[in-house]
Amino acid sequence: MKRRDFFRKGATAAVAVGAIPLIATSCAGPDDMVYDRKNDKWYHLGTGKTGVNSRKKTNEYDVAVIGGGAAGICAAVAAARNGSKTVLIQDRSCLGGNASSEIRVHLNGVNNIKGKAERETGIIEELLLHNRFENEQEAFPVFDHVMYDFVVREPNLTLMLNTQAIEAIMDGDKIKSALCWQATTETMFTINAPVYIDCSGDGLLAATSGATYRTGREGKKEFNEKFAPDEPDGWQMGATLLMSSKDMGKPMKYSPPSYAVKYTHEGGHKRRKFAGFQDGIWWIEIGSDDDIIADAEKNRHTLMAYLHGVWDYIKNSGKFPEAENLALDWVGSLPGRRESRRFIGDYIVSEKDMTEHKHFDDAVAFGGWSLDEHNPGGILDIKERPSFFHYHFKEVYQFPFRSLYSKNVSNLMFAGRNVSQTHIALSSSRIMATCALQGQAVGTAATLCNKYNVLPREIYKKHIKELQEQLMRDDVFIPKQIANDPKDLAKKAITIFGATTSSGDAMNLINGISRDIYGEINHWKSDGLSAQIQVEWESPIEISSIEIKCDTNVKRNIMMRKDSKNDDLYGNSVPKEMLKALSFEARINGQWKSLGEITDNRTRLIKHKFDTVKTTAIKVKMTETYGAESVKLFEIRCYA
Amino acid sequence: MMHFIKTYSWLLVPIFLLVSSNNVKVFDKTNQYAISINHPAEKTPVNVLIYQVLDKNGLPIEYYMDVPSVICLEKVCKVIPVRIFWNNLGEYQKYKLEKGATLEKYKADLFETQDYIKLQNILSDTNSPFKEVYYDEVLTVPKLEEDVDAVSGATALELDEEDTVPGAALGCYTLWHWANGEIVQKIKNLTGKVLSENQLAKALIDKNRGYYFIGINELENRKDFRSQFVNIIIGEVVKEELLLKSTFNYLEKLPIEVYFKATKKIFIKGEKAQKLAVIRSLQYSKYKPQKSYLDELSNQMSSLKSFQEVSIFLDLMQSKNQNSKIVIKNSMPLLDADFIISRRVYWFLKGQEISNPQKEKLQQFYQKYKNSL
Repeated sequence: MKRRDFFRKGATAAVAVGAIPLIATSCAGPDDMVYDRKNDKWYHLGTGKTGVNSRKKTNEYDVAVIGGGAAGICAAVAAARNGSKTVLIQDRSCLGGNASSEIRVHLNGVNNIKGKAERETGIIEELLLHNRFENEQEAFPVFDHVMYDFVVREPNLTLMLNTQAIEAIMDGDKIKSALCWQATTETMFTINAPVYIDCSGDGLLAATSGATYRTGREGKKEFNEKFAPDEPDGWQMGATLLMSSKDMGKPMKYSPPSYAVKYTHEGGHKRRKFAGFQDGIWWIEIGSDDDIIADAEKNRHTLMAYLHGVWDYIKNSGKFPEAENLALDWVGSLPGRRESRRFIGDYIVSEKDMTEHKHFDDAVAFGGWSLDEHNPGGILDIKERPSFFHYHFKEVYQFPFRSLYSKNVSNLMFAGRNVSQTHIALSSSRIMATCALQGQAVGTAATLCNKYNVLPREIYKKHIKELQEQLMRDDVFIPKQIANDPKDLAKKAITIFGATTSSGDAMNLINGISRDIYGEINHWKSDGLSAQIQVEWESPIEISSIEIKCDTNVKRNIMMRKDSKNDDLYGNSVPKEMLKALSFEARINGQWKSLGEITDNRTRLIKHKFDTVKTTAIKVKMTETYGAESVKLFEIRCYA
Repeated sequence: MMHFIKTYSWLLVPIFLLVSSNNVKVFDKTNQYAISINHPAEKTPVNVLIYQVLDKNGLPIEYYMDVPSVICLEKVCKVIPVRIFWNNLGEYQKYKLEKGATLEKYKADLFETQDYIKLQNILSDTNSPFKEVYYDEVLTVPKLEEDVDAVSGATALELDEEDTVPGAALGCYTLWHWANGEIVQKIKNLTGKVLSENQLAKALIDKNRGYYFIGINELENRKDFRSQFVNIIIGEVVKEELLLKSTFNYLEKLPIEVYFKATKKIFIKGEKAQKLAVIRSLQYSKYKPQKSYLDELSNQMSSLKSFQEVSIFLDLMQSKNQNSKIVIKNSMPLLDADFIISRRVYWFLKGQEISNPQKEKLQQFYQKYKNSL
């Protein structure tokens, strides 16, 4: 019996009886670790019992998300909040992926378009704001716990750490189950779900499902890409190993470990700069032109050797007197990966889609990091520049939903660096906040799949508008898409006005565009505090929730940085523009009645629910921001 | 670093910056002021001398100041003194260099003619990208290809060719902030300070509204609330919404009688924006309006065209003039206005002590619209 055949049958049995039968095979694999425990001779001194412990569990979910980086977190939270019983499976002991304390890459996004950010909103912004409240000290290990809190507080979401999805069990072209090995409990979980989302980067589950994928660089011809190599090859951008140092206030010695590689920087390309070396050097990086996943451990060792070699050069070459008092206070052991598998969807995003700003009817996310293709040789090829900045975007580009689900595995979606795109497109979209937007899109789509009992492709064909509307309601910005949710009763208002107005217009709050962009104002801004807006309907309506999008200054970055930069482009605290305190009133039979208040708001999207009222007008009174003298809003919605 | 207040023999560079001969100004006097300026490239305020050139009537017509061409922390830039000129509104006009001096770019390249022209365009652009960026960002311009995803490498600032002189972004940045930074407001204040009463009155009615703001700001500084100025101000603010904020800042400091007189005039003569501003001011004013004053205002209710005006006017009456027979009488006709206005009036009247005939009319309204109230 072939192993895969067996799994298919085994899984069927598992669903029926709630357990996976034992198997016997001479092939080494995870199945052996789990199922073949007949030699386990546990004797429990307390109870006197002997026997084999249960190490097999089967769980059912509506949505299974694999990978707990920015994309996976946003996918899982989106699915859970929209009503799906969701599991998030993460193979490390902490969340965050490349942004976790294990790797410590800045959670960048559209950081800089002509001198200003065009920041991502939605779940990823909420997470970054949560970090600004809970982690003022900007500690990476604390950020791990902030992300943990962000996930486990969701009532519909189960988090499984130290758990790797290692094999898909197929039923035709669908993934029926995911076999997941939890190292800390020696347990093999069978996770059953109608929809799977692989946000793991490398995409092991997706690969084992038979989903088609490619690695390496497309040649110029295939997608008419200006920046692609003439001919296709196998090169993938490398993984980077980071470090950070601390000023000890006195001269600090350093001697490299036994495995360090002697580094001299001789012949190094002038773009291999040491600026900011105290917080790590991104070009301590190694790629591969073949199986980059198979090479991972070898490359990890080499990167550690180079990391210490470069630090030895900094400390002991005499060329960096400013490093005299510095000592390493954190060194990575887990390189942050940029590229490996790219799965194939119904659409493959390529360079020109980005540089020519192609309009997609199924746009669900955006990006704007430059086409930043790293030299695949990494530090093994220091004569070459470390990265090719092929193209700097002047405005954001759209990312389509069709690139986020598998072409041939019908219930599989992706978000992150493993989505359907070319190597050159990846060089921009790989940035974490961009991946996070893709995550929120597929998490939301997964819930729609369950709602209509359809597969992702059907979401594209029949429900894409609903997906886009839900994303925009949940504060995702989709470039050049105007929100027009038919359920939003604020759209039926006859007038909206502010008690004071210093810029914009209160009627902008229902124009469907939730940020100022393309040189157009889409906000209302008060003249000072306190501030008030009033929404007036001609006929009475019944509402039970008000949703507001306030300003958090999306033109300034808020992600945590090692250097705690705090200037016009990067902020290191809660945005002062954000609304803090507000209250709501409805006019009922001519009298203004309180609908409640929020005194400690922490999000751009402010949702306020109350018992249904029949009303002809509402007022929102705003009394405090986190420092700004006036309040700026971008949207108000009302729902029954 | 700002101590090069010397006498230079100035040469216009380039020649196109020369003041044209048909626009020759007659300078009568020059005042010198020592002021303190914050510049984003400097950690602490910088003490500078600014020169105010007056015409024969004592009206400031020009300002100038000598600044370094570039603030360069690494001491590798060549610093050239630059004289910057502004008009009396603090608007940048032109720059001049010392005779024989030339500006330099990155790697010691010299400015060429088109670079001087471009610099003039950059400094004249009050919305230049340099307005928003941070000094550190500009410092990284030569490192345009820096990657930043992995660690903390400085973000490369992306400037369009037309927004900067390539290779001289730091100099452009430094000079832009000298020309368009804090100095602008300082110049406005200096202009206001020396204006005579006659000149102040003229400033308030000047077509260029920049002078209005200088004038009203100066009147506030001088605590000059005489009717000769207040009347001019009322005449201007009813014409232009743009003037409302600074005008009300001034009006709210007037003596009580003058304040009420002025606000009533503006309410009567003004359009929607002016009426709203008056109502808001009355609602939150430190002065308590008398009943008769509010009653008189209500005689203007028929001139309130929008729902917002009616709504906040009635809010004002509800909080400061309950059960006024005059206000009630003036409100009744609005029951026949647009529906949302009439509904607002209906609910206002429901809370007032009204006569039986008025109650009857209200009941008729209710019967007609009971499903939409």
